[in-house]
Amino acid sequence: MMTRQFPLLTRALSLAVLALAASAPVAWSADPIHIGLSAPLTGNYAEYGQLFQRAIDLGVEWINASGGVRGRPIGIIVGDSRADPKEAAAIAQKFTSDSRIVAEIGDFSSTACLAAQPIYDRAGMVQLSPTASHPGFAPGSPWSFSIVGTQAGEGPFMARYAVQTLAKKRLAVLHINNDWGIVSKDLFIKAAREMGADVIAVESYFETDKDFTGVLTKLRGQKPELLYIPSFYNEAALINRQREKLGWTDVTMMGPGSLYSPKLLEIGGDSVNGLYTSAAFFPKDPRPEVQKFVKGFEAKYKATPNMFAAVAYDTVNLLAVVIAKAGTDRKAIRDELAKVRDYPGVTGKITFTERRDVVKEYRQLVIRNGDFTLYDK
Amino acid sequence: MLLSQVVNGLSQGSLYALVAIGFVIIFGTMNLVTFAHGEVYMIGAFVGYFALGVYHLPWPVALAAGMAAAFGVGSLIEKTAFRPLRGTGHMPPLLITIGLSIMLKDLAVVIFGAENRPVPSVYETTIEVASVPVSVLQLVILGLSGALVVALRLLLQSTKIGRAMRATAQDHEAAYAMGVNVHRVFNIAFALASALGGAAGVMVGIYYNTVYPAMGSTAGLKGFAACVFGGLTSVPGAILGGLIIGVVENLTVQFVASGYRDVAAFVVMVLILLLRPQGLLGKRLRAA
Repeated sequence: MMTRQFPLLTRALSLAVLALAASAPVAWSADPIHIGLSAPLTGNYAEYGQLFQRAIDLGVEWINASGGVRGRPIGIIVGDSRADPKEAAAIAQKFTSDSRIVAEIGDFSSTACLAAQPIYDRAGMVQLSPTASHPGFAPGSPWSFSIVGTQAGEGPFMARYAVQTLAKKRLAVLHINNDWGIVSKDLFIKAAREMGADVIAVESYFETDKDFTGVLTKLRGQKPELLYIPSFYNEAALINRQREKLGWTDVTMMGPGSLYSPKLLEIGGDSVNGLYTSAAFFPKDPRPEVQKFVKGFEAKYKATPNMFAAVAYDTVNLLAVVIAKAGTDRKAIRDELAKVRDYPGVTGKITFTERRDVVKEYRQLVIRNGDFTLYDK
Repeated sequence: MLLSQVVNGLSQGSLYALVAIGFVIIFGTMNLVTFAHGEVYMIGAFVGYFALGVYHLPWPVALAAGMAAAFGVGSLIEKTAFRPLRGTGHMPPLLITIGLSIMLKDLAVVIFGAENRPVPSVYETTIEVASVPVSVLQLVILGLSGALVVALRLLLQSTKIGRAMRATAQDHEAAYAMGVNVHRVFNIAFALASALGGAAGVMVGIYYNTVYPAMGSTAGLKGFAACVFGGLTSVPGAILGGLIIGVVENLTVQFVASGYRDVAAFVVMVLILLLRPQGLLGKRLRAA
């Protein structure tokens, strides 16, 4: 009985598989080229990981619709890191030992990237992070690349905006207490002091904090002219909401490009009017590659893409271009990626420095009437 | 400045207290710690968000809806996860709640998406009391916490189910022998505690103008700390515990540094437990 049932079952299954394959839009004769994606799809940073996945899915869809790379489709193998350094390291072990995977995109936080870095380094696989902006990350291994632009570029840019453009001299800083936040505030403070500003107070908060009334009350007592908040947009929105509830209005608010998201406006409401920030990715940018991405993303997901989606989209397209040139050898991909010059990404031109990170061009933005606008005096 | 920080601490602490009361009811009647309470709170917050932000209902309706949803979820959790494990000791139900907590949080990510959702504000006005800015919403939350506690007290003292709950809490075997439907009592106690968690979720969503699937984790931890602080089975103790944690946190921010906020709150908790192992208002455990 058993011997007769099994072949039947197998046949039925293979028929089902064939039927599935036939319904796919493009019939591929070759196996996909696999890229690993390590990102926090669940847990506290799930929002950002899911933006990665959406933007990358969109990029892959378009790459495969236009014939794939070297006659083969791109396939994404996803690992959920929960932004946990331990998980990111475990995913790195899994990806590097999977011979189908030619390169990796991820992770979201600098902390998770740094934890996984030695594993990609030993195995010899490209670790291309969309968002790791810790200045120590990319120089840490010849296999590590980052395209978001490091704080080493952004910190001084924001300091110039505050001290020279807006002429503010008494500054205070409220930063998120993680690798990124600490480096971000250090570089801003260093540059601001060199420009002659006084940094009169520095306070921090933890990633899970939601209540900032205590720390805002304290900072208010120091009477700064400008409060710089290296944080993510969700917390920045809450900080501004609570600042307004406390009635603290005689202060200029500013934060780095991580604040640039429609969510800041949605959650922050009126309280974020007058906040200064910057962006490497601006959806109203008329460049055709930006408009194609923004329209495609809006059509597919009914939401305007932000910086996090845009950098992730750039990583997968960049890898597709590199693999088209270099083939699927892991070492060849690394060497070709290191040579990238003036790649027209949606987040600006991408040219890797010898430290394998990117010097970004930023735009000065300010929120007026509930919308981001370019700053013009 | 000192006074503003105390006010900040009290309004933050009243939110911890609301979560803590749920822990007290569950521990008091069922002798059980649940780590899924934070997620029930999150579900309440999301229901409140849909009522307020999507259907534009008045906030008391949103509060009632959030409490009702949390009551239902709590009842379901008790029936499916705890009832089959009754009599297996402390460990299996505890582990189940950890699993439930992860499951509910990630289920919320799948259903609602991981991003923060904006909750419209109510009572945006701020009044000055002795030159300290106090938002009307803070007062509403403080008042609501008080009202819920009074309602709970009335329920426990003067209704049939309340008497059954107290009897079960004292000795559930004896209560069972006297004809109390212990299963039903456990179920209602757990659902009631969940409803309070749901109420806290809705109010926190309104207070901070945002809800998201991961919001239950810290709230659950702080609420549990407040409950332990107050003595595990004492409702006034839990409230006092929540308020003290809130005030200590904000004073630390003012006079030490913002990074030491949680450190100080938990140091005070450890000190009090060393001096009074039964918690602030807890009863000393009998040797039995």
